[in-house]
Amino acid sequence: MSGGLTLDPSTLSGSGPTQIELNARHMDIGAVPVLGAALGETIALACGDGQMRFFARDGNMSAYQVHRGAILSMVVLPGEEGVLTGGDDGRFLRVSSDGTVTELSAHQRGWVDHVAAGKCGRIACSVGRVANLHDEDRHVHALEHPSTVAGLAFDAKGKRLAVAHYGGVTVWSKEKRGWKPSTLKWAGSHTGVTFSPDGRFVISMMQENALHGWRLRDKADLRMSGYPSKVKSWAWAADLPWLITSGADQAILWPFDGVKGPMGRSPLQLCWSVPSLVTAVAAVPGREIVFAGFATGQVVFSEIDAMAEPRMVKRSAGAPVTVLTCTPGGRLLAADEDGRTMWADLSAI
Amino acid sequence: MTASTQVPVTVLSGFLGAGKTTLLNRILTEQHGRRYAVIVNEFGETGIDNELVVDADEEIFEMNNGCICCTVRGDLIRILGGLMKRRDFDGIIIETTGMADPAPVAQTFFVDDDVAARTRLDAIVTVVDAVNLATHLNEAHEAAEQIAFADVILLNKTDLADAAAIAAVEARIRTINPYAKIVHSARCAVPLDQVIGLDAFSLERVLAVEPDFLTSDHDHEHEEEITSVSLAADQPLDPNRFEFWFGQIIQRFGTDILRAKGILNLAGEDWRYVMQGVHMLIEANFLGPWPPGPRISKLVFIGRNLDTMDLEGGFKACQVD
Repeated sequence: MSGGLTLDPSTLSGSGPTQIELNARHMDIGAVPVLGAALGETIALACGDGQMRFFARDGNMSAYQVHRGAILSMVVLPGEEGVLTGGDDGRFLRVSSDGTVTELSAHQRGWVDHVAAGKCGRIACSVGRVANLHDEDRHVHALEHPSTVAGLAFDAKGKRLAVAHYGGVTVWSKEKRGWKPSTLKWAGSHTGVTFSPDGRFVISMMQENALHGWRLRDKADLRMSGYPSKVKSWAWAADLPWLITSGADQAILWPFDGVKGPMGRSPLQLCWSVPSLVTAVAAVPGREIVFAGFATGQVVFSEIDAMAEPRMVKRSAGAPVTVLTCTPGGRLLAADEDGRTMWADLSAI
Repeated sequence: MTASTQVPVTVLSGFLGAGKTTLLNRILTEQHGRRYAVIVNEFGETGIDNELVVDADEEIFEMNNGCICCTVRGDLIRILGGLMKRRDFDGIIIETTGMADPAPVAQTFFVDDDVAARTRLDAIVTVVDAVNLATHLNEAHEAAEQIAFADVILLNKTDLADAAAIAAVEARIRTINPYAKIVHSARCAVPLDQVIGLDAFSLERVLAVEPDFLTSDHDHEHEEEITSVSLAADQPLDPNRFEFWFGQIIQRFGTDILRAKGILNLAGEDWRYVMQGVHMLIEANFLGPWPPGPRISKLVFIGRNLDTMDLEGGFKACQVD
């Protein structure tokens, strides 16, 4: 796929729609795109009208009404047999790509703000200050926090659950007699959380224009600041690994190799192209590539290499790109805030 | 609705029992063809007649931006963000608790980029009880704060108070807030265009509303904790001197200054310089040429301990000699 892309004539200096854009499938879904994720070669798109839309490997889209209000959160289940969704109708659901819905829990007058899926069948959803952790034996632990839960993430093994809230992150660990909390403090409001793939670091998004991180071994702080806007999209990429984020005029890639991770190091900056801010980023499993979507509607591609030349995937202007997802086989979905989607098969070029 | 459309948000404040819920239900049930999302608080009065009602759990937090008074409502950032995914309504109404400080609510609309991009604060409407306001003002500082922040004050239950009592209550309100529009009502029966669709936080609106200067010579019998100062200058202001003085006032006294509004004649500029703000968050811009006639700069502060800030002297010193 990346070989195909480097042959694409759409360099930054070109004009008009790129070849990829001309060959892509464009739609107006008439709803706000909330989150996207790859299920194998199918792309799942959670939407503000309560529908899950699935873009199959041939680009055909199927829509299923699963929530009564907006879908607020969505993650892919390990094994890719479906997704978990949370809605403002208070329901926590499992949805498969054929539209089969299983209700996992329902919460009166509450929003299911966040969902997470880990290995061993462990899943979680949050309603207000409580994270409901469904253990592999189906026992549900109601884990309470000092303020509303603003992000949930399991580590790669499913043995720890990180919960973002005001004043820091709580990491719950599976122990013999249940789940035990450990607090990572940092002043301010934390609005999202992720574990590094090797489980050594926890990183949070903040209300301020910054990320904050902790090395779990010693709770050493990592400050990742200097963004001109809030970070709202991130993805882990490649083997190093890199944490790719939105929020600046280029995709920002923080290195998480070595003992210190990004401590005292500068991030790599890729996909510079237009005087605009990156609003969504995407990585591709097993590939050294990054996609960046911009506030002005463009989508740019780069190989993860300081010397790489950025390439235009979508040059036409539009509303801010809020969802960007690419499958391992090179099927890309870009969706903007106004509900316009572009599905492109990059492997066919 | 597209991403560029900002959804108007009306904030309803007022003490418990003043009539907030009555007003809310009037807004929701009147035949206007508009659909509202309503954000209520957990201690709110029940019986709201609307299909889209969201419970808010008041979470006030400080921003890490070095501004001590810059508190925002984290719950509102989350709920407004969630609601903006739906976009199946025309406006949002936030009902605050009777004891709520309106500042964090208002500041949320200035501080959070996503909230500012997708919604706009239409107005803060404070419902006050004509019979019990005096008691509320004497007993809890929140009552005065809610009046200080209001764009519209719905003086409710006027059918239960006599004319002299209403005049006295109105005078106390004016001492605190000379800018707000006071609307009289019984059981909150008011035309909706008096409370909804006001765009009160736009700079254009600052131009349209003349402050009530009655207060400057009003002989009031109560010592209000929150008062206002209205300043005027007929000489142009030196832009550098004004910027320095005003910046210093906001830096030093931002916690005590609740709201500020001004229309200024800066030396060398043909356009009116209009500003308005909440605590330290000030918005300002040049907004159209001065109309023919004398150019009078006007500046109003609403806050605590205003007499200690030498506002009059400082403002006077900004005038070109």
